[in-house]
Amino acid sequence: MIILARLEQWKQQGKISPEQNAHLAGLVRGEPFSLFLELNVLLYAGVLAFVAGLGWTVSKWSEQLGDVLVLTVLSAILAACFWYCFSRASAWTAAEAPAPSPIFDYVLYLGSLVWSVELAYIEKRFNVMSGRLDFDLLATAALFFFLAYRFDNRFVLSLGLSSLAGWFGLTISRWSHPQDAAYRQYALLYCLLVGVGGAILQRCGVKGHFFGTYLNIVANVLFWALLSGVFNREGYGLWFLALFIACGASLAWGLARRQFAFVAYAAVYGYVGASSMFLRGVNDTSAVLGYFVVTGVAMLVLLVQIGRRFGRPA
Amino acid sequence: MRIYSASSEETLRAHKLLTDWAGEGYLTKEQYRLLEQETASGLRTTNIFLRLVLFLFTLIIVGAAAGLFFVVFLSRATEQTAGVFFLIFAAVCYVAAEGAVSQGRLYRYGIEEALVVFSVGFLCVGMMAAFFSGSPFSSRPDAGQFLVPAAGAAFSLWIWRRFGFSYAFLAAMIFVLFLPGYWTSSHSAQHAMVAMFYAIELAGVAALRSRHRFDCIEDDYSLVEAMLWLGMYLAINLQLSSLDLLSLNLPVRWRGGIHVTPEFASPFYWGTWVLIWCLPPIVLARGFRQKDRFVIAVGAIVTTLTLVSNKPYLGWQRHTWDPMLLGMLLTAVAVFTRRWLAHGPGGIRHGFTAARLSGKDKHWMNVGSNVLGLISPQSITPEPQTSAAGVHFGGGQSGGGGASSEF
Repeated sequence: MIILARLEQWKQQGKISPEQNAHLAGLVRGEPFSLFLELNVLLYAGVLAFVAGLGWTVSKWSEQLGDVLVLTVLSAILAACFWYCFSRASAWTAAEAPAPSPIFDYVLYLGSLVWSVELAYIEKRFNVMSGRLDFDLLATAALFFFLAYRFDNRFVLSLGLSSLAGWFGLTISRWSHPQDAAYRQYALLYCLLVGVGGAILQRCGVKGHFFGTYLNIVANVLFWALLSGVFNREGYGLWFLALFIACGASLAWGLARRQFAFVAYAAVYGYVGASSMFLRGVNDTSAVLGYFVVTGVAMLVLLVQIGRRFGRPA
Repeated sequence: MRIYSASSEETLRAHKLLTDWAGEGYLTKEQYRLLEQETASGLRTTNIFLRLVLFLFTLIIVGAAAGLFFVVFLSRATEQTAGVFFLIFAAVCYVAAEGAVSQGRLYRYGIEEALVVFSVGFLCVGMMAAFFSGSPFSSRPDAGQFLVPAAGAAFSLWIWRRFGFSYAFLAAMIFVLFLPGYWTSSHSAQHAMVAMFYAIELAGVAALRSRHRFDCIEDDYSLVEAMLWLGMYLAINLQLSSLDLLSLNLPVRWRGGIHVTPEFASPFYWGTWVLIWCLPPIVLARGFRQKDRFVIAVGAIVTTLTLVSNKPYLGWQRHTWDPMLLGMLLTAVAVFTRRWLAHGPGGIRHGFTAARLSGKDKHWMNVGSNVLGLISPQSITPEPQTSAAGVHFGGGQSGGGGASSEF
């Protein structure tokens, strides 16, 4: 029985009203058909393409255009974006707040990205911070966090978190040196700061819906950092213990809150770490393959049990 | 043919819709509780995260088991013998997947999906090793070797029909890409053949789809149709599907350094240029007519790709501000469409609205904003500037939207 017939049956049985039936049947038939998601994706792509072109043009033609023109144009765009946002925004609330207009989030996002372009330009041309790009990143992160919390914007929150990660020297491109202990420490410090900060804000009831973003980023950075320690040739025992504890916490959190991304993190990162430990120094191909068969089956059984116990009913 | 009964899949779909509608407030909690009891399908599903992890671990188990078997029992076997065993493994994996679904009632559970993926992989490797070993990558391949991708395509299509995995159809489309290479060395003919294959499949899918209006199977056909439109476009657009693009030398391409690729005859080249302008409106019209989200999305994508690839097609110089113009165009289209729809009676025009009607849209927006917000700064941040006039800089590895490493 297709859903339309089912709705008709429920209406005849009095389980839903005729109005509900008409409305829901309309949704199934696509009457009306919502273009909400498509239009938002188009806006996002438009902003991104615009800023990419802007950054590229500035990068390539700055000598010919001159600093005054470049900075005037960038500042004008920036001012227009922030004027729009501050003039249209409703009063601040600690709770989740809808955007005042459909394009509001994208104007704010555009302003934030243009800020980054302008700051990078000023720093490189005038060397304001004497090459201390980390100060730029910290200031940018602070601005983005302010904007994200003022205007309730996840895009800008993510920008703030990535800028802060940059300040900690934690850009993704640098993960090609996972043995570097300094980066690992910075990563852990970043996790601590972001995790505790996010938890405090959530506990205070300030934009509690952002907490999921914080947790996901913290979990991934933390697991990468711990795994890089486990992959060390020496002194990996403590890192493995830390990874084990983190996996347990992630699993418990995921099951308790029914957020299965954290169950997946625990399973995958934990398995990679444990495999690295157990297969250390094992050169026999049969033993390695046998290990993967046995442990893979064990993980599968465990996950199926978790899925049965906590998974979505069908 | 389908391993799942229509009623169980319809019931599962009804369950998902009920959850969505209850979340949006279209149903009361009491109604949801009452109706939910009627939508127990008996199929075992899981969430996307566990599905991915189960898929991964099944891949590990099957891959390791096959590897172990070869290491222990067939370390000195000939390629033909190994090929025969690969074919046996393919059969075992497929039977196991069938069993997992029929006995375990698994539905999009990861386990059965990994098993069918391996069955296709083992089939192709097994056929190659058993029947064509010795010269798999020689410059003059055995004429019969086309049977390998053909079998892969046919088996993938079967899996799509049997299990409803849309990515199996995508795999079939990829296998089809390899077929013309066995029959002709002409690149033009190869492109034309691939486009023709996809067009034939598209006609078949469109015909089948009309029988499934508003049922759960229609969603599968919708995605498959969108993939075929995209595949056909990519086969036609020589600027995108040429090997130069695969070399990732994007900055050179962006500056317009490549025009008519010599392996294509001029009439064919310009014919495809006409087609890349004709196809986007057709796809968009089809998507809007069918109210098909996937086809509309592909229509938007191919329209953008046409705008992006037009200049290299014509051999015109590309400029650094072209992405800005594209961005302004996309934004203007989005804003204008939204306003136009919003000013219609009840925010609706011609059956379309810009309003959000489903909780899924909000969910995807949240996920997208988190992920894209983290990724996008990496991809668009411009390369540092020159600090003094007359100084030549170079060596930057990346720049905004693919800027050159030489200033």
